[in-house]
This record gives sequence, C-alpha cells and structure tokens, in this order.
Amino acid sequence: MDPKKQSIIIGLIAVIATAGIVGGVMYAILAPSEEGEADVLEIYHWWTSGGEAAAIGALVDVFEGLYPDTTVKQRAISGGSGITMIPIITALVLAGEAPDAFQMHAGYEGIAYYEADLLEDINDIWTDNNLEAVIPDVVQSMCQFEGDFYMVPVNIHRSNVVWYNLKELEAVGVDPKTLTNWTAFFDACFEFEDANPGKDAIALGHAWTQAHLFEQILASQGIDVYENWINGLITNTTDADISAALDILATFMSYTNDDFDSLSWNEATDLLIQDNSVFNIMGDWANGEFLVANSVYDDDYGTIAVPGTGNMYGLVVDAFQHPAGVANPENSDRWLEVVASKEGQDAFNPLKGSISARTDSNLTLYEPYHDWTGADFASVTYMFPSVVHGSGAPQSFSAELNAIINAFCTGAANKADTAAAIANLAADNIADYTTTWALD
Amino acid sequence: MVSIKKIITRDKISTILFLIIPIVLVIIFIYICIIWNVVVSLSDWDGLRPSYDFKGFGQYQKLFTNEIFLTSLWNNIVLILIFVPGSLVMGLLLAILLDQKVRKENVFKLIYLLPFTLSFVVTGFLWRWMYNVRVGVLNTLLESIGLGFFRNDWIQNVDWAMFWVCVVLIWQYSGYMMLIFLAGIRSIPESQVMAAAVDGASGFQMYYRIIIPQLKAPIFTGFVLLLVFALKAFDLIFILTGGGPGYTTEILPLTMYKEVFRKKHFSYGSAIATILFLLIMIVVIPYLYKTYRREK
Repeated sequence: MDPKKQSIIIGLIAVIATAGIVGGVMYAILAPSEEGEADVLEIYHWWTSGGEAAAIGALVDVFEGLYPDTTVKQRAISGGSGITMIPIITALVLAGEAPDAFQMHAGYEGIAYYEADLLEDINDIWTDNNLEAVIPDVVQSMCQFEGDFYMVPVNIHRSNVVWYNLKELEAVGVDPKTLTNWTAFFDACFEFEDANPGKDAIALGHAWTQAHLFEQILASQGIDVYENWINGLITNTTDADISAALDILATFMSYTNDDFDSLSWNEATDLLIQDNSVFNIMGDWANGEFLVANSVYDDDYGTIAVPGTGNMYGLVVDAFQHPAGVANPENSDRWLEVVASKEGQDAFNPLKGSISARTDSNLTLYEPYHDWTGADFASVTYMFPSVVHGSGAPQSFSAELNAIINAFCTGAANKADTAAAIANLAADNIADYTTTWALD
Repeated sequence: MVSIKKIITRDKISTILFLIIPIVLVIIFIYICIIWNVVVSLSDWDGLRPSYDFKGFGQYQKLFTNEIFLTSLWNNIVLILIFVPGSLVMGLLLAILLDQKVRKENVFKLIYLLPFTLSFVVTGFLWRWMYNVRVGVLNTLLESIGLGFFRNDWIQNVDWAMFWVCVVLIWQYSGYMMLIFLAGIRSIPESQVMAAAVDGASGFQMYYRIIIPQLKAPIFTGFVLLLVFALKAFDLIFILTGGGPGYTTEILPLTMYKEVFRKKHFSYGSAIATILFLLIMIVVIPYLYKTYRREK
C-alpha cells in the first residue's frame, strides 16, 4: 500500500479509537444510572473504622428490616470529619447527582447546601414522627435553617469530657469529683507531676484537638460567653473573656506533653491509658480507645465534665438530610425516619460510642460510660454546639480557628495577637453568621 | 483540486488529525480553565451555587490586606529561598561526586533518584513519621548513637519548621537535579577537560573554572523547574504539616485550598489561584523567551 495512504488510515484509526475510548469513558461516568428506576437507597458517609462501620451497618439493618425490597447502597469514604467525602459530595450535589442522603455535621456545615437551594425541607418528617417532643431544643436548632428543618440528627457525641486515669489520680490522693474548677484541676496536675517526675499530667494531641480544648475552656467561662462567641458578637480584640480563656489555656499547656503537636487525638488518649499522664480532654469518641485497651470504666478510668462546664453538654452531632433532586425521594424520606427513630438510634449509637439524640432512648443498651453521660444529657441546664466539629460557627471562622489556636499553643503567637486574631476572624466574616443561637 | 492537494499533502492531514485531539484537550482543560478561573475571581461567586456577576477587583484588594494571604506569600518566598538553591547545590554536588568515575555508578544514580519517583503523599507521611518527636526515626536514631542532645522537635518548632520542610523537598528533588547536571557535565567535550588538566588545573579549579561555567543551561532549567514547583507545592506540605505550627508553613496553594474547599469562597480562592498563575508566569515567560531565542 502507498505509505501516505497507510499513514492516513492509521491516523483515522487513531482518531476513531481515541474518540471511542474517550466517549466510552465519558458515557460510563455521565450516563444516568439505571439505579434511579430500581428500588434503591444510596447513602454516603465516612464511618469506615471497625465500630463505626458496625454502627452504620446496624442502622441499615433496621432500615432493611422495615423495607426489605429496597437495596441499600452504602458509599463509605474514609477520612475523618469527611475531609475526603465532602469535596466528592459537593461535586455530586452540584452536578445534580446527589445521593439520597449523606452524612454531615449538623449546624453550619450544611448551610452552604441550604443557601444554594440544594436541600429540601423536612418539616413533615419532624411533625409526623413527633421529633420535637423528644429532641432537645439546641439540637433542634442545629437541624434548622431560618425556622425550617433540613436535617435529622443520628447521634450525639459529648465534647466537654475530661478523661482521667483513676489509679494515677488515686495514687496522688485526688478525688475527681472535686475537680469542678480550673484551680482545683491545675492543683491536681501539680500533685501528679510532683509525685511522678518526668511525666506530664495532661495528654494533648495535634492542631484540632487544641482548638477543641480551647472551645471547652471558653464554655467554662459561662454559657453566655460561648453564646456570644458563636453568634459572632466577640469582635473586640482585647475581649476579657477570650483573654481569660487564653490564660487558662497557657496554664494548661504548662502541664502537657512536649510532643503534643505530633500526636493524633487517640495517641494522646493512649498516653493516659498507658499511665504516662492522668488527664485528657477529648470528645467521647475517646471511650472506644479505652474499650480497645480493655480498660474498665470506674475502675481504670473515669470521666468528669470539663471544669466549669458541669451543667453543660457540648454537642457534636452527625446528621442526614434530603438533598434536592435525589433519585429516590421516597427512600430518602424513609431513611431519615429510620435514622430519627428510637429503634434506629438505639441500634446505631451503642456501637458508635455516642448516645441517642432522643431523650427517650434505652440507656441499658449502652456502655457503662454512657450511664454517666446519658444521665447528664437528660439533666444538664445548657447545651452548646461545637465550633471545631462544624456546627457552631460559619466555616469561614472554624476553618481558621485550628491554626490560630495552634499558633498560641506552640508559642508562634502571643496572647494579645491570638485574642486579636480570634476577634478579627469573627469581624471579617460577620456576614456569614446567619444563625442566632439561643443557648440559655 | 490538484493545487489544493499539493498544498495540503496527505502527511499534513495525518499530522493534523493526530494533533487535533491533544490540542482540543489542552485548550479545554488548561487554557479555558485558566480563563474561567480569572472570570470567577472577578465574579461574586461565594457559596456552592455558581454566580458570574461581575464584581471587579475587590477580591484582589482584599488579598493584599489579608494577613493570612500575606503570611502565605511570605512563606512561599522563604520556601523558594531555601529550597531552590538547596536543591541546586545538592544536585550539583551529587553530580560531581558521580562524575568521579565511581564504580556501580548506575546503582548510586538509582538510589539518589529514588526519592523523586515517590509520590509526595507517600514522602509526606514518611517524613511526618521520621520527624515525630516521641517515636520518630530521627530522634530515636540520634538517641541510639549517643547524640541524644541533638534531639529536636523538628517540624513542630515554630522557628525552624519551614527549614525542615525544605529539607524534605531538597531530599526529594536533588536526585532529579543530579541527573540534569550529570547530563550537562557529560556533554562537555573531553578535549577541554584534558586541555585544562594538561595546563595543571586542580580538581577544584577544573570544576570551578571549566565545568560549572558550562552548566549555565542546566542550572537555568533546574532553577525554573524548582521555582515553579516551589510556588505550587501542595501535597507534601498538606500531609507533612498542614501549614502548621500556626501558619508557619502555610503557603499559597494551601490557603487557596482552604478558601475554596472548606469555606466555599470560590471567587476569593480563584483570586489566589490567579496570583499564583501570574507569579509562575513571571518565572516561565523569560525562560521560554530565552529558550526560543537560543533555538533560533
């Protein structure tokens, strides 16, 4: 064959082949799936580790028990706080391919979807299932935007918990029940370090755990202070409450491990389990670490509320919602009803290590730790939504808070600069504070 | 018909056919995206719902009064000042060492180049573990060979964090630079080196006066490559330090990521991307200009 002809034929084959491959791949990605026509429920979440996966599995089991003909497709995308999942979800939702429901933190984390009209209100689900009677007010407001419900909570983790090593604390003769203010707490730290040279009283981890800690300290300054803070009202660069909280944080840091910035939250908790320290402030997902280490509640370890927050419950809440334009709207609603139901919550939460968002849950199903926290949940005066865990303040605020507090904890920034940075951050993003919290 | 056939020969047709696909892809996924990014940075798109209403240069004004942006920009400059010369010097030293007619040269080449073949995510995790204060390789090693007093808090140290980040980048890039320089050294005619040797040039003089001056082209190429990388480094620092402690290792791409994907400030994030693009152009345009002029 004429070589020129040959090259033209090869060229054409290359073009056709490339077009075929590209077209095929694009079709596979973009073609509407047939799932929409079948009886399917597709949910996205980031619960991939042992206990978490078992928990969502139990919740799905409850759903499948009620709707045996529906196929549940779980898309589990690992990465704590949805760090990997959220960008994927954002892309899917914007492309009009939203799953029937996806995990997110209640409160501000959902507001970007709400403001872009990507969520449907679910007032009917709340009314039909009488949820307002069994879910606390602050949790309700975390599920609302401008007065309408857009989410149902699946669990409650508590943020303001001090975990202590009971044996080490007894060895220095401190009764944990007396640690209700920071002075008593720091005295106990001093006692421990005095009796155990070379050890640090408090175990602390890297960036977000420090911001988590700051948030609890701020709540200990009073619920009105915390409320003002998450309502964006603390914009004075020399605010006395922020300044006092930073003073407490500075004292706190003098009792922590030096390598705090290189430990993950669970490595910090492990320091306490291994008797290297006596206190750790962390949300109650930490209970799982103690269980894995075969530590016994009230024998090896125990819990108190963060000093000054005894009448408060710090809320970290995961939720599901009904995205706009989903393929299976009816299944989406059914899923939300199961998530919010007593059976669903009591199947999910004992395995997850959290408590039910409902005040009528059956606490006998839970770990011994939950007897304490469950009783508090039913009796505390105040509840406050966490900022670090996505609920209490706009993302424009919470996304920077970790770095600001980390700078203070590592000594990169002094108290005055830190207080100013926190105040300016709120002032600069004041337009994003669209929710007015009422915590008292 | 005949004349057109003569102009557009069959060879040309097949060339055009082959080129059409890559050109279309490049236009769509690179040039249109760059233009689109600039458009977004001038729009009022803030939140998940795209909005392209023209808003002017407000985001750019905001950038240059924002402390976080200015800190990131400064950190980027510091990164360039340490990482670029560091990698060039290390690469040159390794190339000179390998040029000493060592045995098993290919084995050494492979060893030095290996870090560059690893993904930045992998090396980020690896070095985070190496630098770990309590159980990290570096501190454990120092302790075990009796140099415990050199124990360090590495990337946790507010004053030195950026330096230790640069060490990782230099470790990863110097093997690649070595290859570029080695090729440069090997392309210098043997006769020149011999002549210098006959004239009595010592080893040091040989490199300082004869070889290095002839490496201008590879040094320039390496300089541009490193500079562009230093401006857009993201993955390694995101994994290694996440920008911390505080903001000490936060560079522009990290700030951009946080603005767009966490805060959903699309137009503000796009403005940062545009600034990055302009900074990279400042480096690349003179390079391209010089390269094309040389070719002519």
